[in-house]
Amino acid sequence: MHLRYVFSELGQGLRRNLSMHVAVVLTLFVSLTLVGLGFLLNEQTKEAEDYWGSQLQITVFLCTENDPNVKCVSDVTDAQRDAVLKVVEDNPEVAGHHEESKQEAFDKVKKLLGEDLFEGPNPPATAEAMQETVWIELKDPKEYEGIVSAVIGLDGVSGVRDLRDELDPIYSSIDALKYGAWGIAIFLVLAALLLVGNTIRLAAFARRKEIGIMRLVGASSLYITLPFLLEALVTALIGVALAATALLSFWFFVIDQQVRGKIRITPWIGFDAVVGAVFWVTVLAVVISVVPTLLLTRKYIKV
Amino acid sequence: MIRFEKVTKTYAGQARAALDQINVDIEKGEFVFLVGTSGSGKSTFLRLVLREYRPTSGRVYVAGKEINRLAGWKVPGLRRQIGTVFQDFRLLPNKTVSENVAFALQVIGRSRSYIDKAVPETLDLVGLDGKGDRMPDELSGGEQQRVAIARAYVNRPMILIADEPTGNLDPTTSVGIMKLLDRINRAGTTVLMATHDAGIVDQMRKRVVELEDGVVVRDQTRGGYGLEQ
Repeated sequence: MHLRYVFSELGQGLRRNLSMHVAVVLTLFVSLTLVGLGFLLNEQTKEAEDYWGSQLQITVFLCTENDPNVKCVSDVTDAQRDAVLKVVEDNPEVAGHHEESKQEAFDKVKKLLGEDLFEGPNPPATAEAMQETVWIELKDPKEYEGIVSAVIGLDGVSGVRDLRDELDPIYSSIDALKYGAWGIAIFLVLAALLLVGNTIRLAAFARRKEIGIMRLVGASSLYITLPFLLEALVTALIGVALAATALLSFWFFVIDQQVRGKIRITPWIGFDAVVGAVFWVTVLAVVISVVPTLLLTRKYIKV
Repeated sequence: MIRFEKVTKTYAGQARAALDQINVDIEKGEFVFLVGTSGSGKSTFLRLVLREYRPTSGRVYVAGKEINRLAGWKVPGLRRQIGTVFQDFRLLPNKTVSENVAFALQVIGRSRSYIDKAVPETLDLVGLDGKGDRMPDELSGGEQQRVAIARAYVNRPMILIADEPTGNLDPTTSVGIMKLLDRINRAGTTVLMATHDAGIVDQMRKRVVELEDGVVVRDQTRGGYGLEQ
């Protein structure tokens, strides 16, 4: 296959339809950025839920040696822990549960406040000072009184944390932002699809003479389609590059440089979340550009 | 080489068949004129050979293949065995003569060395030696048609289809084009030419297939344009 021809056609195609390609790139850029932001918000919710518990979770704190609760005289014993877990397992309001050790609790605190704080001879906290916890997942967020009253008086239980009233508005706001971003993105993705379709129609019209000759002399469908596909891919990848830059900038300048240091109520998303967002945005961009190209080239340049 | 067996072609939304139960058999190496008034079915005939359409009923065989049964991905392979020339030349205005001819080979993946050898040879054959660097608009109509013939013939097809190739040319230039097509035919290529040009048909005395309202009304070896020739 003469790739030089394909690439020269690609260059010509991009130049010939420059304004349409710019429109496609800009629409893709904005829509993909919104989709990516929605993804980042989703990841942020997961981070917060991991730390504070979700809207369906309550947390049971088990006794420690220096517990503020006077009822606790020592670390929770194995027998007390087993009794608490049995009550939890047998309760009909409970969908599931998991235990968190002192070390796991300490790791979470280190992640939130930064590892550096806990290095050196006099750390502000140690794993030993942390509380063991049982995280309970409810079947119905409204049905929780039975389980709370069942565990609160048990030996070895220091307290029960139920932050659902406080967390609900925060999670709802994040969800509203996420769905808002995705809602707007849907319209923009639709606009991008239509623009891609129009671009292909114009390109097929501009190249109708070449395409006619190629069909007559027996060029394969792939050979005829390839310049169109590459044109679509190039515009999609430029859109992805711009969206990735925007997402990375948002994460770096807003989350990493500002929010992370100032608001320490929850762990914040890391670079891996940005990588995940860019990955899904790339997949979406390729689908948005390649699928209509394949469908429309079949229609406009039927061999 | 080309065989139509009881071929009918009816276009969607039209009551009358463009071709109606026609039988035509064209042997390898023949030169056949396809004549008839506008709307008689000549273009449909050629398009069926090129597998741009499938027949509504009946069978069409081209170069040993039954085109009704030919899978879509095999159509390019069939077309590589057929060269096509049109009344309006259909040259690419932004490419030189050589590039226009080379284009037909490039897009089917021929090697550069093959192209470098075949293009000048073919330009020489059609009488355009030394004009490879010209742009199409610098050539006369006859020369442009020679470029189109070179592009159709450069891959040495088994069949050459010419749809009114002299329709835009004056009689003297037309004679030159016919001599060229005759030469290509003598080299072994089957030539099927649709035309309205009575003078040329009468002069060449080749086989004539005449269509009228989608039906073959005459199939005459060494015929003329009119019936009583």
